[in-house]
Amino acid sequence: MNKRALIFGVAILLQTLILVGVPAKKIYTRSNGRDVVLKVAPVDPYSILSGYYVILGYDIGNPESFAEDVKLEEGASVYTIVEQQPDGVWKPVKIEKELPKNLPPNHIALRGKWNGWQVAYGIEEFYIPETKRQQIADDLTKNRNEARVDVKVDSDGNAALIRLRIQDRIYE
Amino acid sequence: MTSQHSTDFRSKLKQEIPHWQQEGIISEEASVQLTQRYQLDDIQKESSRLLAAVLFTLGGLLLGGGVITFVAANWEEIPTFAKVAMLFATLLAFHLTGYWLWFHKGLTRIGHALIFTGCLVFGANIGLLAQIFHVSGKWYGAFLAWAVGSLIMAYAVRSWLIGILSLATATIWFSGFNFDAQNYWHTFFPVLIAAAFLPLAWRISSRVLYTATFVSLTFSLSILTAEKYSSGRYILLAMAVSGLLAWAVGEFHRSKNIKAEFGNPVAALGMLTLAIAAFVGSFHKVWSYGSSYDFDKSTPFNLVLPALVAGIVALVLLINNLISSQQSQRSFLQIAVIAAAIILSICATLGANHRGDMVLLTLGANIAAFALAASAIASGLLDERRIAFWFGTLFTVILILSRFLEYESSLLLKSAAFIFCGGVVIAAGIAYENYLRRKENV
Repeated sequence: MNKRALIFGVAILLQTLILVGVPAKKIYTRSNGRDVVLKVAPVDPYSILSGYYVILGYDIGNPESFAEDVKLEEGASVYTIVEQQPDGVWKPVKIEKELPKNLPPNHIALRGKWNGWQVAYGIEEFYIPETKRQQIADDLTKNRNEARVDVKVDSDGNAALIRLRIQDRIYE
Repeated sequence: MTSQHSTDFRSKLKQEIPHWQQEGIISEEASVQLTQRYQLDDIQKESSRLLAAVLFTLGGLLLGGGVITFVAANWEEIPTFAKVAMLFATLLAFHLTGYWLWFHKGLTRIGHALIFTGCLVFGANIGLLAQIFHVSGKWYGAFLAWAVGSLIMAYAVRSWLIGILSLATATIWFSGFNFDAQNYWHTFFPVLIAAAFLPLAWRISSRVLYTATFVSLTFSLSILTAEKYSSGRYILLAMAVSGLLAWAVGEFHRSKNIKAEFGNPVAALGMLTLAIAAFVGSFHKVWSYGSSYDFDKSTPFNLVLPALVAGIVALVLLINNLISSQQSQRSFLQIAVIAAAIILSICATLGANHRGDMVLLTLGANIAAFALAASAIASGLLDERRIAFWFGTLFTVILILSRFLEYESSLLLKSAAFIFCGGVVIAAGIAYENYLRRKENV
């Protein structure tokens, strides 16, 4: 193999690595994480659709969902502890600044970032096929309190969005 | 040899040579030598190759676009693994076919076009992979990945076109990242851009990429200083110093005769940037404190620092030029440009910090603008550079008219100003063309 072909091969390899790197963290979390069901907070009907994705809000993103008053720094990482309820949905319990250890089995921590108005967990954007855009937006608007998401959460608290469920309708 | 001469020039030469031979100006032997030297027999082949390259790029874009739209349209029907496999297969198909045509079949343009399309597919793949796995993040994140991947390919196949793609995506990323940046790491972006793209442009002797890098530098230095809710006057400082830097680099190439072909476009870009900054500053409203556009906050020094460093680099280059220059007239011209940039920088810095009298700042920017116009006219005369002369003349006229429109409301006076300026342009043009003709005759 000549030098030029080798350099070209390395360039393609590096481009491939960059492409693999884009979803790498999500793939890791998807395959190693625990299943968690979260309730989608009522969505403002005028800002649901933004390009090819719907924007989802969560109770765990709203600091008012927590019993204790929390002081957060903009851009700082936080860990939100959620607890599994009898109906299968996980509810917010409290926010910590460090990743908590030795949590009971029905608790798990999610890593988020306070951006000044909500805690974002990297699961706020749900990409959808063009043909289903309006259907999902309408469904979300009509059934504001019925929307749930299935996510996977790994041991570092990173979350990956798997699917959106509204009553018995599943969107992946 | 062909790369140094435009196809236009060679086509005209090809038309002229038979006439010269007929008229006895050149011998048959010289005609054959000229035909070989400028590869005149290849012109037709090259133009059909160029057409093929354009068509192949278009075809490639449609093909790649088709596959990507297919993946996006059949979102749910195609299993995840198949989606990902199709994206990678499309990328590889473009790159490998392009490489094979370029380096094994000698079809440079077609191969280049396909690898460039491959880099566009690479960018689309980043977006689609993010969608498939619901990766959330800032909109500009994908542009950084795209810029890095394209830069690697640009170096690998020594492509100016892929270099431009990488430069554009890197600059788009920076415009988003700069807005959200929390610390000062982003102030190193202009240095990174220079370090990444100037060596590539130098190695492949691409004037387009070299000049485009300075455009990106000017843009990034300017948005760095445009801190949220600041008065924005530091943008004039950033433009003044990056304009001076580009002009200094252009002068360096011209005077030292090192990659002389880089000189004119970069110097022209520098002069244009300086002129725009001076023109904006020449309006008194820009300096009026307390207007609705004027915010109280001043940009932190860390964000202005990169612009100052660029200014120092420019000055060092120019002083070095001045010391080694033998022509005192040219030195005068350089000093005028340096003075204009310094006056403008001082005005911008004082204005951004709400210091200095509004009238003096306006006057300073106007002096800088007229100094630039004068130096462009001088360069037109000294170097017989027609474009510089016309630029200087038109800039002077625009400045005079702007002042009239700004301060004078009487229609009669305005009409007099228009007539005067029109007369000046025509008279200056005639005088300049006569001057050039006289010089040619001497």
